[in-house]
Amino acid sequence: MTRPAESHYGQFAKEGYLVLENALSCDELRRLQRAFDRCAAAARPAWVREVAAGTRPAAFFDIPDPLSREPLFLELVDHPSYIDLLLAFTNDELLFIGAQFRVVPSSPLSYVGWHYDVDRQNTPTHLKIQLYVEDVSADGGPFAFVPGSHKLDSGPYPPVRQLESMPGHRTFPGSAGSAILFDSFGLHTSMVNRTGRARKSIILIYEKWSAEKFAGQRYAHLAERLDTPLRRRLFGLEH
Amino acid sequence: MRIDAHVQVFARASAEFPRLLTDQMPAERAAPVEGLLGEMERHHIDGAILVQTGGAELEHHAYLRHCLKTHPNRFRGIALIPPTCDAPADHMDRLAAAGDILGFRLFDLGGPADPLAPIDVATFSTFPIWRRAAEKDYVLWLYPRARDAHLLPFLFDAFPQVRVVCNHLMVCPGEDKFSWDDKGRPRVEVEMPPQTRYSTMGLKIGRIPDNTRGIYPYENVCVHLSGQYAFSNESHPYRDLAEWHRNLLSTFGSARLLWASDFPWTSADPGYGSMVRVVDELLPGLRPRERSNIMGGTARSFLRFPLCA
Repeated sequence: MTRPAESHYGQFAKEGYLVLENALSCDELRRLQRAFDRCAAAARPAWVREVAAGTRPAAFFDIPDPLSREPLFLELVDHPSYIDLLLAFTNDELLFIGAQFRVVPSSPLSYVGWHYDVDRQNTPTHLKIQLYVEDVSADGGPFAFVPGSHKLDSGPYPPVRQLESMPGHRTFPGSAGSAILFDSFGLHTSMVNRTGRARKSIILIYEKWSAEKFAGQRYAHLAERLDTPLRRRLFGLEH
Repeated sequence: MRIDAHVQVFARASAEFPRLLTDQMPAERAAPVEGLLGEMERHHIDGAILVQTGGAELEHHAYLRHCLKTHPNRFRGIALIPPTCDAPADHMDRLAAAGDILGFRLFDLGGPADPLAPIDVATFSTFPIWRRAAEKDYVLWLYPRARDAHLLPFLFDAFPQVRVVCNHLMVCPGEDKFSWDDKGRPRVEVEMPPQTRYSTMGLKIGRIPDNTRGIYPYENVCVHLSGQYAFSNESHPYRDLAEWHRNLLSTFGSARLLWASDFPWTSADPGYGSMVRVVDELLPGLRPRERSNIMGGTARSFLRFPLCA
């Protein structure tokens, strides 16, 4: 394992996030975009029906069971651009929780406001990778984070009527293939997307190992493809 | 001043008071205004918003207009617009001419059902209604279907001057999820909190409410605390909806929430008096000012309900 640079440790500890420009190579990105669009197009009609039935949100669309669909998708979970960082920030006790291959339609209202993801008092270190599948402009619903808000003694942070009113926040427009690694104890959101084009991104969710989240059979259906010791540990097949 | 912000009254069908006939509202069924007034007297409710039912054509509004004219200090009205109306602005103006009809109720918004389709509010079939509401300061009373939920923010954004009341806990019923129960009440099968909340409210409300730091961005939008019986899987006081009520309170604030009984559907079960108490049951920590807002203050200020009841 390659240990992260001291500057990475320092920034992550202080700010709660790291920006990883060009996390994917051009070739990886092209293949990912094609596969993403193919899977999203195949699942879209069922999603629209479920939206009308009120059983799925219209505000975002997740490709169902993405890791079963494309080998390329599975490879993102332990991608060399960030896996060492994730391992280092969890003392090598990293567990993969889930993936959201997400399409967010343009809307004047963000589907999420400023929020913390988890119960911060009772959850182990909880990390996410937000990977942009296409370029995300400043008005295209970029990820946003309040630096330092992952610390339990930070804040308080006020409820705000407009997302851009959150004190101290930073937004992360970025190019396709870039990623943001962040501590989901921190306040974050998806800013408003006014471009008229959907935002496509992949959210990978990890947590420091705990017996509570270690579920040996959860990814059993992928077992044949979890062909390295690291993957088997990440997916909870071994500990 | 306490105001019941959403009730329906209707007379037996007659030449004087024509209305559409349905299985649920046959010709002989009636929910007369006198019955509502009796309940209001008993439970110290000063005024109410009468919402048209029984048809959207001008003539179908005869009983509503009769009630508003007969009791000008107790009621204001919300009317309907026929979906196929060629001149909705004229229809709206004719009904609102007397000044006692505040606005109009919509169920369909008339935009694309696919959330990934291009959205242009000017192409919505209801655009002329929204435009007229903006021009004439009419209130829009919304009970949209789930297929339209994602269209709401576009309309709120385009028409910030239009006052909007989202009916019945901001739930947007899904296709084929609406029915009538064996007590003659509307029933909506919906998982609470509703999936449509991501489109209508944003804010990631519903999972860990204390983790959210947001207030609803559209100040021209209010929400009814009503219709609990139709969504709940429990009997009164519908405690399975308590968390959703707390979410609505934290998101909108009491100055944007309105209590309503949904008379007459609630008359037999749980009874009007129980509906008057339902807000206190589901939001027991309300401060006096918040309770006052929800039980009438918001209707008074937001709907400009007169103080003369």
